[in-house]
Amino acid sequence: MSNKTNNTPLIIIGAVVVIAVIGGWWLYSSGNSAKKPSTATNTSTKSNASEAFKTAPAGAEPSWSKGAANATVTIEEFVDFACPQCAKTTPIVQQARAAYGDRVRIIFRHFPLDIPAHKNAYDASRAAEAAGIQGKFWEMENLLFKNQSAWSPASLNPRPIFEEYAKQIGLDTVKFNDDLIGMMTTSRVDKDKVRGRALNVSSTPSVYLNNRLLGIEDITPDNLKKLIDAELAKTQAPVANPAGNSNSNVSANQ
Amino acid sequence: MNELSEKYSNKFAIVASVLALIGMGDAIYLVVHSLNGDQIPCGLSGGCGAVLSSKYSEIFGIPLAFFGFAAYFIAFCLALLTAFRNSKLWNLFGLQVFFMVCFSAWLTYIQAFILLEYCQYCLVSAGVCCSLFLVFLISKLIKK
Repeated sequence: MSNKTNNTPLIIIGAVVVIAVIGGWWLYSSGNSAKKPSTATNTSTKSNASEAFKTAPAGAEPSWSKGAANATVTIEEFVDFACPQCAKTTPIVQQARAAYGDRVRIIFRHFPLDIPAHKNAYDASRAAEAAGIQGKFWEMENLLFKNQSAWSPASLNPRPIFEEYAKQIGLDTVKFNDDLIGMMTTSRVDKDKVRGRALNVSSTPSVYLNNRLLGIEDITPDNLKKLIDAELAKTQAPVANPAGNSNSNVSANQ
Repeated sequence: MNELSEKYSNKFAIVASVLALIGMGDAIYLVVHSLNGDQIPCGLSGGCGAVLSSKYSEIFGIPLAFFGFAAYFIAFCLALLTAFRNSKLWNLFGLQVFFMVCFSAWLTYIQAFILLEYCQYCLVSAGVCCSLFLVFLISKLIKK
């Protein structure tokens, strides 16, 4: 066997390494460029959702929301409590709302997915609603996302865990357990789902900013801020004031 | 190794090299995905969002795709060196691929019975692992 032959596999391995590095870098770079916030132009297909808003059912009313009802920017998010991405993006949306005070309103919508892995998501939505009846919706929402991995495995019965959370936030657990399986909570979750379906929601988080569906890459602190600024600029001077009046009009409506 | 079995071994090693390259490509995609910190929404069709965001998708904070890429790269090197008549490495290749198949079986079990969701990229990887092991087994059967 000549030296030339012996070197051939090493040359091939070297070439594969080079191709892998270049290919990987190209994928990495193109992935990063896709993280820029979407514009009105490149989300024109997504903006078709605006048409659906005219005919979609209202969802549970009154909705769970924060911010002034007449806010310039309304962010409506369809959320599945068992979805790991929802656990990441929901705080981002809420922080953005807090930063803009009265000018931004967020509306929370349940959209528990009908998939085996998210078997407990529907009960989680009802648990949040049951907590809401006692005025602790947002506290329960926070606990559910924070402890998602503890209750979301489909093999678990999540209700004892939800009861524990209810205790933690000072709820009447007897009433909480009754409400969790009650008609009112079920009806509210279902109404949100019906609205989501009418808007062609098929994945979570589905976030609409002034009736325009955002891409998942838009829901980062920076990108969301740019999009909100752009919306504000259409009606007023685009002043993002993260320090200003963050809690002046925060309310859990219902 | 006699001439006939060596001839077949080389052909099988070349096939294994190509399969390992496919596995590397799959793993590179997942490595880049994890480096980018890409967000995958949860969909009605389930899939990668649930699997790649789960606690089973990494070991000691390192995404499994990194280990997968390393394993496929080593398998590729061993198969290629075998193809170029360093036939002693073929058994080492078989041993490594055996462990890869075992690990893939464990990951597929997690998807099927714990997460109740499948990620197509993980299934491709499991398929490639099984194919690699099958190639090795057939090469041994022919040798006999």
